[in-house]
Amino acid sequence: MVKKRVPDWLNNSLWYSRPPPDDERILRYASRYSDPEPTAEPPTPAAPSGDPPRPEIVDSARDRDGDGNGVLESPSAEEISRQSQLLAELSSKVVNMRELRRLASQGIPDGSRIRPVVWKLLLGYLPPDRAIWPSELAKKRSQYKNFKSEFLMNPSEITRRLEKSANGDNDEIKRQNSGLLRRSGITHGDHPLNLVASSIWHQFFQDAVIIEQIDRDVHRTHPDINFFSGDSQYAKSNQEALRSILIVFAKLNPGIRYVQGMNEVLAPLFYVFRNDPDLDNAAAAEADTYFCFSELLSEFRDNFCQQLDNSVVGIRSTLARLSELLKQHDEELWRHLEVTTKVNPQFYAFRWITLMLTQDFDFGDIIHIWDTLLSDPEGPQETLLRVCCAMLILVRRRLLAGDFTSNLKLLQHYPSTNINHLMYVASKLCSKHSG
Amino acid sequence: MVLVLALGDLHIPHRAADLPAKFKSMLVPGKIQHIICTGNLCIKEVRDYLRTLCPDLHVTQGEYDEDTRYPETKTLTIGQFKLGICHGHQVMPWGDLDSLAMLQRQLDVDILVTGHTHQFTAYKHEGGVVINPGSATGAHSSVTYDVNPSFVLMDIDGLRVVVYVYELIDGEVKVDKIDFKKSTAPPSH
Repeated sequence: MVKKRVPDWLNNSLWYSRPPPDDERILRYASRYSDPEPTAEPPTPAAPSGDPPRPEIVDSARDRDGDGNGVLESPSAEEISRQSQLLAELSSKVVNMRELRRLASQGIPDGSRIRPVVWKLLLGYLPPDRAIWPSELAKKRSQYKNFKSEFLMNPSEITRRLEKSANGDNDEIKRQNSGLLRRSGITHGDHPLNLVASSIWHQFFQDAVIIEQIDRDVHRTHPDINFFSGDSQYAKSNQEALRSILIVFAKLNPGIRYVQGMNEVLAPLFYVFRNDPDLDNAAAAEADTYFCFSELLSEFRDNFCQQLDNSVVGIRSTLARLSELLKQHDEELWRHLEVTTKVNPQFYAFRWITLMLTQDFDFGDIIHIWDTLLSDPEGPQETLLRVCCAMLILVRRRLLAGDFTSNLKLLQHYPSTNINHLMYVASKLCSKHSG
Repeated sequence: MVLVLALGDLHIPHRAADLPAKFKSMLVPGKIQHIICTGNLCIKEVRDYLRTLCPDLHVTQGEYDEDTRYPETKTLTIGQFKLGICHGHQVMPWGDLDSLAMLQRQLDVDILVTGHTHQFTAYKHEGGVVINPGSATGAHSSVTYDVNPSFVLMDIDGLRVVVYVYELIDGEVKVDKIDFKKSTAPPSH
């Protein structure tokens, strides 16, 4: 099986078909309303609000002849065979996870439309035994519904429900027509100005800060993609879903609550599940996404916890491992970066790792990269480090020629590149390492 | 779920130095969306303090207020409810239900908040409610020294309002509540 190999001279900024993404990214976060990106590959226009728009993400991986004209070429023979192998795996009674992971790590063909199911299997949401899928799904989805009703209720409603269960449904309010209103005792000794920690009102006001942050971030997620932002009913319902998922997660994980950036990690998951061709699954995408997001974050949770920053499991040590990896495979580049120009991985790789590259590639590319990341049996972190290393190696020529400022600028606004080539280099790092 | 604080008759600095400490510790910024003040603050500093709790402050003219530019009555709409504010010294006899009901009909509001008597009361009258939050500082009124500091917090949620009454009795804060539901049919006039 021969993967397309991009010759070295092609790995040069002269050949990139689209303009550098620097300005767009700055614009994107400077204002909520940004103009559509002036890309050479126009995204397919969204259908009018009401119907879910066709997936509008056009990614460079499918653009095999590199001409950037946005036409999706028909899948190669190799992709077709992989697709049929994947379908075969998924139709067997008990899915062979090892085989599935091996196949998925090479990328899941877009046309097959099985990505949602494969991701759910890879993240452990669906068990390998296909027979119990319906019951598992039903259980999890109702669990999520309970979470939502528990956490998303405001204290007024909670008080009302408590009262109803305590006093029965007698509507004493109706009885009086005139005269002094009767005073009654407060439910459970709780009132809005209560400063006691166990008061639901007090907790509500404390959570209000986090919820505000979540709201802000959800509105800022991918403003250029109609699925996430804009005035359509569809976009609004998607934002609502993202918001609910993040709030439930923050409430159930008081250890890390919500950290800025989680919305970015959540976005591709929700997008993939919501665009599931199976309509039942698409309707329940919110619940499924919540559990998969939980699962995914449990792997990376240590990166978000500030207290663990300097420990063995924290982000610092992860960055150190990236350095080690680079040193192993490309000592010259490592020396130039860390010693000569003093470009510490903290300056560029922090975002790559904690956000799983969601900020550095186009949405379509991210989904392809995540195919490989999620299929790693040891967890996404290992593959992620290899991909980061590959990212560095691919631009080594420019890095070696640059100083601190230009290298930092390059790495913080990583130039768009052929994803297939990137993943190939990353996989080669793996075999070299084990070899 | 909108929280509205109703208080009045503080009479600072003439009859009281400040709000009771226990009240002050409970009133923190960020929780309350609107403040309704029946009047008799009396000085500008009190108004500034209330404004730090919540930027949306509505005050009506009390007879001892140093600032004479407040309106005599005020109406506002919060959610599904129309609220009216008046200090109450204009309505004779002071604190009389029927006279206040006239004022309520005149302003065409669901909840009328008045003060002046320095006693907490809550009347229901023909689909509307008249609330007197009492005096937040416990200042003596025109007729008596026997005044407990009190104020009112309304939780307006759709067609329901839960009125939380905070009173300082013997140095302890006592909280009670009153439920009121607005009838959906508009009252015939």
